[in-house]
Amino acid sequence: MKVEFILPFVKGAVDVLKAEANADVEKGTLAIEESSVTTHEDVTVLIGVTGQLQGVVMYSLSERTAKNLVSTMLNERIPVFNDMVESAVAEMGNVISGIASAELEAAGYVCKIAPPTLVKGRGVIISTINIKRLVIPLGTPLGELKISVALREYS
Amino acid sequence: MAKILLVDDAAFMRMRCAKLLTDNGYEVDEASNGQEGVDKYMAIKPDLVLMDITMPIMDGIQAVEEIKKRDPEAKVVMCSALGQQTMVMAAIKAGAKDFIVKPYQPEKILDTVKRFVG
Repeated sequence: MKVEFILPFVKGAVDVLKAEANADVEKGTLAIEESSVTTHEDVTVLIGVTGQLQGVVMYSLSERTAKNLVSTMLNERIPVFNDMVESAVAEMGNVISGIASAELEAAGYVCKIAPPTLVKGRGVIISTINIKRLVIPLGTPLGELKISVALREYS
Repeated sequence: MAKILLVDDAAFMRMRCAKLLTDNGYEVDEASNGQEGVDKYMAIKPDLVLMDITMPIMDGIQAVEEIKKRDPEAKVVMCSALGQQTMVMAAIKAGAKDFIVKPYQPEKILDTVKRFVG
């Protein structure tokens, strides 16, 4: 698992959070984690990756952060975590991954991303089997977004 | 009033684009996958289609091909998170007139729509 695999996703998140919510991002400490993860956030968006890189990318955030983000994007207060917030968070993961996939293609890794899947609730165990995960928290004035990338080269 | 068909599986994106376009005087209809997009195109014959790529049932590239088979004059602009060179080329080959890369940029969407339908 190369560090260069997570950088396009960080760039995508920085671009999207700035463009969509005018939020500046403070990057946290990069960590490497083994196999299973228990979700500590309310919402996790999972995006599968296939092609020259294979695995999964996860975006985790609290309901409060999700509502803050969508409220800012729509310029109106969204008090409840409803279907529209779910759709917005899933789409945000999709757009970040789309930007990252273009960056990866430019670096020589052609890959496809799958439509997003949303996991709701804390305490869900997600295993990336035998692929280690690179994890980085991104702080914003609207709350924290954590990116976990578990990708390996297909040979 | 020009008619725009939005084809995107993300309800949030359809809602935002529909509001932007109706606020700017366009008539908007929506579809949530490529097959529904093809069916709605034939039913309402819009002046322009804004089409996502990654969607269930039928993806955006295939939907463009199907629409162009039925109406070679159809104007379709891809509006997708996938800005990969290979995907842009596939969309243009399928018959798309232009390609807007997300994230959502209202000015870019309005400029593109104006360029094709006034």
